[in-house]
Amino acid sequence: MAVSLSRRTGTVAFINWIWDGLDRTIFTSIKFSFPARFVSPFGFLGMLTFITFIILGVSGALLMFYYEPIIDRAWDSVAFINDEVPFGFHIRNIHYHGSNAMVLLAILHMYYQFFSGRYKIRNEILWVTGIILGTVTILEAFTGYDIIFSERAELAISIAASLTNSIPIAGPTIRDAMFGSGFHDFVLRFYAQHVFILPVVMLGLMAVHFPRFLVFDVPMVMAISGAILITGGVFPIDLGFKFEPTVPPGITVPEWYLTGLYAFLRTQYDKFVTGVLWPGLFILSLLLVPFIDRYKKFSWKDRPIITAFGITGIAQIMVTTYWGFYIPSDTTIPLVERLVIDPVYLYSVMIIMVPMSFGFSYMMIHLAKDAERKAKLAKDKGPKKVAKIELSEKWINWVIVALIAFMVFLNIAAYNAALTGMNNLSIFFAGLILIVFAGLFHVYRYGMNQANIPPPPPAPLQQEKLKALAEQPASTQMKELPDSTAAKSQKELPKNAPKETAPQIKAESSGHSLKRESNLGTSDVKKL
Amino acid sequence: MSEQDSKKTKPLSRRDFLKLLGAGGTAVAFAPFVPWGNFMPNPSTASLEKAPVILPDGTQANLKTFPINHSEVITYPKTGDRVLDGEAFRKWQFIRLPEELGGTKDDISSFRAYSMICLHLWCLWKYWPQEGRKRGECPCHGSMYNPVTGTAFAGPASLQAPPSNTLPQLNFETDTDGFMYISPVTWGVNANGVVGYGRFVK
Repeated sequence: MAVSLSRRTGTVAFINWIWDGLDRTIFTSIKFSFPARFVSPFGFLGMLTFITFIILGVSGALLMFYYEPIIDRAWDSVAFINDEVPFGFHIRNIHYHGSNAMVLLAILHMYYQFFSGRYKIRNEILWVTGIILGTVTILEAFTGYDIIFSERAELAISIAASLTNSIPIAGPTIRDAMFGSGFHDFVLRFYAQHVFILPVVMLGLMAVHFPRFLVFDVPMVMAISGAILITGGVFPIDLGFKFEPTVPPGITVPEWYLTGLYAFLRTQYDKFVTGVLWPGLFILSLLLVPFIDRYKKFSWKDRPIITAFGITGIAQIMVTTYWGFYIPSDTTIPLVERLVIDPVYLYSVMIIMVPMSFGFSYMMIHLAKDAERKAKLAKDKGPKKVAKIELSEKWINWVIVALIAFMVFLNIAAYNAALTGMNNLSIFFAGLILIVFAGLFHVYRYGMNQANIPPPPPAPLQQEKLKALAEQPASTQMKELPDSTAAKSQKELPKNAPKETAPQIKAESSGHSLKRESNLGTSDVKKL
Repeated sequence: MSEQDSKKTKPLSRRDFLKLLGAGGTAVAFAPFVPWGNFMPNPSTASLEKAPVILPDGTQANLKTFPINHSEVITYPKTGDRVLDGEAFRKWQFIRLPEELGGTKDDISSFRAYSMICLHLWCLWKYWPQEGRKRGECPCHGSMYNPVTGTAFAGPASLQAPPSNTLPQLNFETDTDGFMYISPVTWGVNANGVVGYGRFVK
């Protein structure tokens, strides 16, 4: 068996030949790493954003087979996808919730980079392209929910077109050239922008924005995909009402990433200032942050003004986002009073939030530094143990078998739900399967790591020490195991000690030089 | 040395002259593509002639039978294309004014037609005939329009500078039987107005 695996057969040789050939391509300059253990997803939120972009590309391409960008057929074609096409409900929900996930991940990605000061050390271009990419992402999501041409979509299109029209001097020309002259053109051209122009712009920006080090963490990618599906199952997106020009629509609010802007539009102030200038100013200030930030340090704790600046922005976004959503439900009040936000009220709240956020930021920095100092002082006294789940080889195998069995069950359940027309349950189960797979993959790579660690050389001198270890009451490391097994493995431990001690006494070998290799990714195969 | 001399005598060096030629050549080479920009806009080709007022039920509006304090949605200019006629920019609120605003007279002075595109952010407003309202209201940001003049009196549209506070309107003609027609239209802020932009009140 070992022979057949190690020998380069035809297929393996072919794959290796391709792999070597990639040396001549652009991909050599990108270092992919597939982490062999859990790493914090904050570090690769950008990669997760890209993954959702791919998911959106695939699901969007599938939707294109049925969608018709014509004003009186757009909504009907989406309804057909949603209600009639097999698994059309699934694809549409993945596309819708994927778009929300992408916007959310992009925002989280941006704020993580912001607070950790990653835009410094010659990363300014990455940051600036990232901000533009984020703006285009929101435009992409916006054009997407517009072309359903429900009542809400029609209002969104009309707001987009009239805001463009309100730009001084060039506005009407831009609107005419980019959007056309009426709603028939608007729908068709928003579609062209949504499925081609904006994605191509995004790909171009990504080519500049991609750093050279990329982390592709399979469990996290699967967990995010699963989360998108589960959200689709729990909150399936509706179709809205079909837009009828003879029936003026009811009150609607935009998607959550635009209600902040909507709150400003609702203050009655000039539409160009509130709808174009304010968001433009916000984007511009983000673009300029790396050039304003002159701190020599990176951590948010060492850059109080910039941190406070970011916190202020987040606080204002949160307040206006809620405010934009909020419309009093009392229908006896005249519409204008329900809809119009008092500008004095809104803008004074915006201003009050600045000192509040600065105070909050400085307080948090003070508390964090204090906690850091205390932790440093207590370092020598406190317990050093880190809670870990340590599984033996046998248990790793059983966990994987159990997870596979659970996935088989979920597969049957998902298919059964789809057969009986319970689409949202079906997509929920499919999401659950992906999450279970994420867990399975993590346990799998953990097991592979454990298998890679060579057993420590037989050391008869250690026997006494091991016996002492075995006679201890169940240690913290054993707590995760069921009691009986823990006891059993304790009893067995002395016998098998030379062969199977590695997983159980891992804490001992944590400084071992061989152990470090288990953290290497697949990409390091090239190096070795 | 000689170069310096030539610079003194001739204001334009040979290199600069070549650069100028290069720039000129580039400009001429790409000049024919400028009007290609006309590919992008898609102006309406519908003719703006006299047309009957056709109600949503397919009948022609008659000023003797149309109910007082009532509104319908009419389409102008019609293209004959069902899809293009469904467009919001071609939709007008056809209103017969309430009694107190002079809607009882059986002539065209009791009728109004305003573009349904709100002047604020282009949502579609609607006439509300209920007691206490009797005005045009936009569901998006609450602009309210006076049904007699088409001028916004409340909400964001009322704060916009003229002509963007008054809705474009259609004028009417009538025949001896009372059937109504839309008079030929001129788009312009000093005439019937511009849909989505506004009209100066004369």
